[in-house]
Amino acid sequence: MTSRLFRSLSNIFSVCFVLVSVATANANPEFKRITTIEENSAQWQQTLKAAKGQSVYFYAWGGSKAVNDYIRWATREIAQQYRVKLIHVKVTDPSEPVSRLKAENGRTSAIDLMWVNGENFAYLKQQEFLLGKLWSTIPNAAFLVVDSLPITVDFGEPMDGFEVPWGIGQFNLIAENGVFQQSQVSATSLLDIAKKNPNTVTYPRPPEFHGTTFLKQLLVNLTDADPHLYQSATQQAQDELLPVLWQYLDQLHPYLWQQGKAFPSSAAEQLLLYQQKVLSMTVSFNPNQWLKEKSTQQISESSVRRYFTDGAITNSHNLAVPKSAPSPDAAKVVINFMLSEKAQKEKFTGVWGDPSVITSLFYEKATMPAHPELHSSWHVLIEDAWQQRYGG
Amino acid sequence: MLEIINCQIEAKTWRITLPDIDVQKGELLVITGPSGIGKSTLLHWLLGNIPQHVAIKGQIILSGINITHLAIEQRRVGLLMQDVYLFPHLNVQDNICFALPKNPQLSSKKPPRSSKKQRRAAAMNMLEQINLEHLATRYPQNLSGGERSRVGLIRALANQPQVMLLDEPFAALDPSTREQMGAWAFQQLAEQNIPSVMVSHDVEDIPASAKQICLADYYQASEQK
Amino acid sequence: MAATIRRVAPLARIRQIALSSGWLLVFLISLLPILGIVVGLWPPEHITFADIEAFLGYQGLSASVFMTLFSAIFSTLISLYIAFMVYSQYHLSRRLQSFEKYLAPLLSLPHLAIALGLVFLFSDGSVFFIDSGLPRKGLSTLIIAIVIKEVPFFLLIFSAIGRQLPIKYWLLQGQALGYQDYRCWWFLVFPALLKQSRLALLAATAYTLSAVDVSLLVGPNIPELFAVSVYRWQTSFAAGDQALAFWANALLLILLAVSVLILYGHEKLAHAGCKALATTGSRFQIGKINPVFKAWLPMLGLLTTMMVLVFALWSLGFNWHSDSFAVTQLTTRLWQDEWLFFALPLQNSWLIGVFSGLLGVASALLALELQRQKGKYWPDYYWLLAIILPQLSMVLGWQIMHIWSQGGYHSGWIVLSHLPFTFAYAYLVLKGPFQSVEPRYELLAASFGYSPWQSWWQVRFRLLLPAIFTAFAIAFSVSIAQYIPTLMLGAGRVPTITTEAVAIGSGSQQDLIALYVLLQSILPFMAFFVAALLARRFRGSMGGQDARDY
Repeated sequence: MTSRLFRSLSNIFSVCFVLVSVATANANPEFKRITTIEENSAQWQQTLKAAKGQSVYFYAWGGSKAVNDYIRWATREIAQQYRVKLIHVKVTDPSEPVSRLKAENGRTSAIDLMWVNGENFAYLKQQEFLLGKLWSTIPNAAFLVVDSLPITVDFGEPMDGFEVPWGIGQFNLIAENGVFQQSQVSATSLLDIAKKNPNTVTYPRPPEFHGTTFLKQLLVNLTDADPHLYQSATQQAQDELLPVLWQYLDQLHPYLWQQGKAFPSSAAEQLLLYQQKVLSMTVSFNPNQWLKEKSTQQISESSVRRYFTDGAITNSHNLAVPKSAPSPDAAKVVINFMLSEKAQKEKFTGVWGDPSVITSLFYEKATMPAHPELHSSWHVLIEDAWQQRYGG
Repeated sequence: MLEIINCQIEAKTWRITLPDIDVQKGELLVITGPSGIGKSTLLHWLLGNIPQHVAIKGQIILSGINITHLAIEQRRVGLLMQDVYLFPHLNVQDNICFALPKNPQLSSKKPPRSSKKQRRAAAMNMLEQINLEHLATRYPQNLSGGERSRVGLIRALANQPQVMLLDEPFAALDPSTREQMGAWAFQQLAEQNIPSVMVSHDVEDIPASAKQICLADYYQASEQK
Repeated sequence: MAATIRRVAPLARIRQIALSSGWLLVFLISLLPILGIVVGLWPPEHITFADIEAFLGYQGLSASVFMTLFSAIFSTLISLYIAFMVYSQYHLSRRLQSFEKYLAPLLSLPHLAIALGLVFLFSDGSVFFIDSGLPRKGLSTLIIAIVIKEVPFFLLIFSAIGRQLPIKYWLLQGQALGYQDYRCWWFLVFPALLKQSRLALLAATAYTLSAVDVSLLVGPNIPELFAVSVYRWQTSFAAGDQALAFWANALLLILLAVSVLILYGHEKLAHAGCKALATTGSRFQIGKINPVFKAWLPMLGLLTTMMVLVFALWSLGFNWHSDSFAVTQLTTRLWQDEWLFFALPLQNSWLIGVFSGLLGVASALLALELQRQKGKYWPDYYWLLAIILPQLSMVLGWQIMHIWSQGGYHSGWIVLSHLPFTFAYAYLVLKGPFQSVEPRYELLAASFGYSPWQSWWQVRFRLLLPAIFTAFAIAFSVSIAQYIPTLMLGAGRVPTITTEAVAIGSGSQQDLIALYVLLQSILPFMAFFVAALLARRFRGSMGGQDARDY
């Protein structure tokens, strides 16, 4: 009974959401049709010419073989097509390039291109470390799917041309079919599952990004996507909404892996635990990761993808160029290639499986029903309060 | 009294068959011979430190007890080597305390204060007897060569050994100290009535009263295969 | 007569110039850590004392700090005692000669790999399908993983120290005075080894105190270990986190100082304890358990073999938990795929390791020799600052200075950034052996008419050779293992096997992680193995078995 009520409520909300997003898109006509230069414009030809023979040092997380292999493929393509040398600097933490830019403080950077989103982007934008006008100076930016995907704003921070969407993250669970039988998960069903299968459900320890998003999904579900969650968090809204989440977690934690006395440090660690069949579920931001992991026999055949009934919290991961990059033209050429149909197709159909962000390749099926990010103020609030209640 | 019976040292290419030897209380036996002939080997065998390159057979009888197969720590033998090997982390007094016998009067599982005091007093007493009490709190690295030798001997005697083994004990000292030290040491050993065995290739080290045995006299080359 | 004086004067001047430039060089190397930490921790303007309140109010801070300090001190001391008991069993046996060789594989596995292998083999859902009670995440698991890794390190240090100490004769004397073998080890040898391995203890504690990777993987995280919090704040640019990071680093420095004090205190206590036991003729029965530790090395060997086997199988695509897996599916595909990409990083690692290792050993010898000539040794912790200070802040400082200098990015900078670490480790291995070389030998050489240089080279250096091999192997493997300096100073221009392995390790691709763990271990393994072989050939001043014939 209750779950049906939830579902109908959430359906109503989805409709509202579409309306809202269309409304916002209308309010910003700039994003409806992206104005940018043409491939054959003199300006772009100039950029291509300047890029020739340059090297692009690309700071990107190096923990995934799929991503690394994809970048290796792109490196070969870019070298052939543009005579630009793409070099993948594998980092373990997206904060490494941020810390470097801070240390460089405007001097010629070692970084030409970086993979960034969320608070790191907000910091870099605010510190004015990033090269602007990327959208209007890169031809393929014209094809970005801005009207169907929330890719103009990065965690509440408007991109404003300081970064370009590269791919899509959608929060989902990879789980054992036998344990997570329904295709959608709600807070209630998750608690049931945890009770029936104690010690096999968990989430990465916040403030790890996946862990915090897991809590956000629960909060959305528990408060029927209260509109206050999408606005700056007022004290009143906090007092009203957050206690529901804590009450729920108080119930859930005793049934979690290690009784909630320890959590995986990262989504990667949780996936390892899932692979080793210690857990019955893990979390992911790549909607197609479950298929890729299955095809390489990394996870069991009976693994399935599950998402929260309100839709998967969706955000983009993006490419940015430092203002002080030594080869900004070559970096733009690389971004342009990354947004090309060929590159976006390979990204989706190849080893990585990351959904495309350009119109010609945008399939509704490739993505799950999207749910917008909460207002960024909630992010920190949830993390701090979680630490206060469960972290010590 | 120390008796060495049926002793034979056997290496790959040679063999030494010793006559039976006895060393009386207070008596000194000096083993001489060219280097490499097995003087130290014999001494370490007496100590209980089994040599690895040669085979030694025979029996060691100490005060009537056969100690041939006893572990080093059960033999009650004193040892003084060219380098005295005072323990560097203990001062002179503590080095001697370490050597004092672990009999019930002087120690117990959990030593009461009095026993600890007793041991320290006993060590001090020994130092006083040879007028070295001013060295009590010094550490070995701050002693002169002669002082080190003296403390070494006192430490060995503190253990009330049944026999004393000296392995070229004074070779590292300068000639005048060596002579003085030698005379003093042999006097101490004689006074304490301890049988002693010394290895030396310096004939001048040997007091007139000592028994001598030269290993070279008993050396035989083994027949080749 | 006048001619001789004239000839001597320039010689003396050359000697003086050589001496002062030597001091200058040593100072520069040892100052790098201080410079780094000052620049790296220089408070940004917005840091106020009000932030302390936010920091101290952080939930679970005191528990986290206590756990971190406890695990660091406890694991170090446990490792020390285990290593000592193992060493006492092997020192005089024939097998000692080859035991360093057996340590090589374990020494070369990175900490993280050992933690990974440990939980995989023994935690819930392990390959044996038995629950050994070892939690996936917990203080006990962390401590066990650290101990497994530190014991061989201490054994290697003991072995380097032991070659220069007359342990054999102390034992003989002790036994002649009526003490059993094990009592002699505790009463006579332990104090000496403890004193000389003080620097190694410091290094091990500092490592555990600030180890992020192992703590993240197997450490408890409710509350998380302090090093993890520090790392998180430092790498976060959300509002307020940088201020937290500043105060957290300050507290980390205090923790380091506290652990230095605790270690000195422990040394004093242990020393006094051994002395009291030695001088009161105590029976000290506990020492009897020493022989049990004879089993340690075979056990460790088995464990290492199992871990290497697990990693090898993983890298060949084996999956314990796969629904349908046959041995026939084992494939070298991954090795072939990656070969093209790991050859260059391996070569970079090797070159950087050799250069920074050699330079580190050479400058450690220089620092020791200069101090010896001066007759005064500086406090140990000064020379070990690179190991003791929080690495992230220190290297951040170097990065900032490097950017100021606009010197470009090449492997020279990376060698330079590894130098303080290789120097510190080489120093900690060499100090004990260096100080216990009998000065008489050099006097003897001088009496034969050798110049100070010649006699240093011919006598002291030769006597120290086995320790130098060990020092180089450790310095080399320390350089191989450096991640943060390599990335921060090299700016990704110079990929090494470790930058690749650490990046891969942040993911969840089991087979690839295993492959890079193995690759990362290959170079240090070779270094330790060769060093062990060479050290056997060139025995130290106290020799092994046959220093004197008897």
